[in-house]
Amino acid sequence: MRAVSNLKRKSIARTSLIRTLIFAALVLLVGAQFDAYNQAQLAVVLILFIGVLSITLLTGISGQLSLGQGALMAVGGYSTALLITNYTLSLWVAIPLSVISSAIAGLLLGVAAARLRGPYLAGTTLVIALAIPTIANRFMSVFKGDEGLQVDVGYPPQWFSSLFGEPTYEQWQLYVALPFAGVALFFASNILLSRTGRMWRSIRDNESAASLAGVNFSRQKIYVFVISSTFAGLSGALYGLRGLVGPSVYPVSLSLLLLTAAVLGGIRSITGAFIGTVIVVFLPDWIELILGNFGLSEQVSNFLPALISSLLLILTVVINPAGVAGARLHKHK
Amino acid sequence: MNTFLAALSLGTSRGAIFALVALGLVIVWRGAGIVNFAQMGQAMFSTYIASTLIANGYSYWVAFLAALLSGAALGALLDIFIMRPLSNKKQSELLSSESMRAAVPVIASLGILGALQALAGIIWAAEERGFPAPAKEEGFTVAGNVLPFTSFDVFVVSIVTLTLIVTTLFFTKTGIGLAMRATALNQEVAKLSGIRTNRTRTISWAISGAASSLAGLLITPTSNLSPNTLDLVLIVGFTAAVVGGLDSPVGAVLGGFILGMVISFVTFYDTPEDVFLAILAVLLAVLIIRPRGILGSKDARRV
Repeated sequence: MRAVSNLKRKSIARTSLIRTLIFAALVLLVGAQFDAYNQAQLAVVLILFIGVLSITLLTGISGQLSLGQGALMAVGGYSTALLITNYTLSLWVAIPLSVISSAIAGLLLGVAAARLRGPYLAGTTLVIALAIPTIANRFMSVFKGDEGLQVDVGYPPQWFSSLFGEPTYEQWQLYVALPFAGVALFFASNILLSRTGRMWRSIRDNESAASLAGVNFSRQKIYVFVISSTFAGLSGALYGLRGLVGPSVYPVSLSLLLLTAAVLGGIRSITGAFIGTVIVVFLPDWIELILGNFGLSEQVSNFLPALISSLLLILTVVINPAGVAGARLHKHK
Repeated sequence: MNTFLAALSLGTSRGAIFALVALGLVIVWRGAGIVNFAQMGQAMFSTYIASTLIANGYSYWVAFLAALLSGAALGALLDIFIMRPLSNKKQSELLSSESMRAAVPVIASLGILGALQALAGIIWAAEERGFPAPAKEEGFTVAGNVLPFTSFDVFVVSIVTLTLIVTTLFFTKTGIGLAMRATALNQEVAKLSGIRTNRTRTISWAISGAASSLAGLLITPTSNLSPNTLDLVLIVGFTAAVVGGLDSPVGAVLGGFILGMVISFVTFYDTPEDVFLAILAVLLAVLIIRPRGILGSKDARRV
């Protein structure tokens, strides 16, 4: 029995690894064709993809709706920024450390959230998403209030440049985001395919049945929150490294954007998470491309992306709740 | 002493408005089992309609009535075209679990909120605009002292009280009101006894839409009107509803006044910046000590 399950575990890990490598190769291939602007956009896709995965795991797989992922991203972002500016750590050290701090935040949130269901959880996390950024103004000396902390991805190390040639700033953003997105994808894929994923789905589908089958659902719920928060924190850390960590970088609308991406693409699938992220990040550009010649006023073009993504969200929920990647649902369930 | 009176009076008039918002949330929760996060988006939209009418020379009261009616109509339309089809989709695989049945309407209401805010931005531009009050916003003067209570506050408190009385009578004395309570209690049984549950659901959306539009009209004179000014009011209203008990209209009113006082006293005695943390603290305290709220019934936390 043991041997069988070890074998299974190995094959799961192998499947996830292959997926991750294909993903990374595709991103590098496509990224090489893009101009500087689109490379930066692709980096944003990779960064937010990690955040959307946190919703896929939390809501899609384990059935808990959180509107506060932006607050957890802020925890990751501020931790990284403080570690880099105050302790002059390299981002490769600062980011993993700040992921730990967002995991701790997730643990606290999870302990509170394990008691809450449905709209209660949604509303409470929404209040948290609004309340956390105000802390930045409360402790001005540490968090620098609305001004925020300035950080960026810096320059590539010497050995990288001598090995691969000097990358542009946008390319370097992409190269920094890619390994983290790859690690996130690997772990998410592993979780979805493994026993843990089945356990979380059982909580989502029927708590009583899950607990009769021996799943300690309160503990698993907390566990889901911790894992999901590490994803959100990682995403937030990278998101801040685009230049600024401040309350305006992690507004409530960011949490809602991630949720929109997760639902549009397909809330239960990793492919869906990626498709959804691509949609929400590139939507403003696509609209500009299609309607740019119509001479729309600034007032209209400012709000059109939000209007269209909201309408897409409503349509998806009413007509095709499984999202773009829904067809794949039956395979992985 | 003066600070205390000022805090008390602000708490009362704000509390009345929060009570109205919470009541709107409770009505839809009881009628349809949904927490409507789009509620203040709907209120924002109808307040903009009122503001446009006033700008075009109509009297405040015409605009006031138009806002209430459009708020009710918008609520009913959202239920008919979005929420009803959604609840009829329960057979689909994604909605087969109870947790997702609770989550999906919330997601839909967030989509509605986003769409309404973007639409308002496109139609009315995003810059803030003022909104008039129908009564003076200066304090009463008694023996040379300016009291912190204004005619507008009197107007707010009396119109909210009137609304609460009318709503209570509606739910206890009228046939439709009783049918709505029956539907809230047990949808299947209500259906079997001949109540058209789809219709009662739509009516609860309409009433909630009108109530929150009223809240929008009453709160915007003290702030400004922009597509997302009312988001914060929704958060407070939600907290008030949870504090009072999500399925209890009386609890909603109580919760509204409690939140009004908490926010007002934090603003006066601490700093306005701590308001959100205070709201979060109240919410977490209630959820830990008494999750069903002060007046909520035991099974209020149905998913």
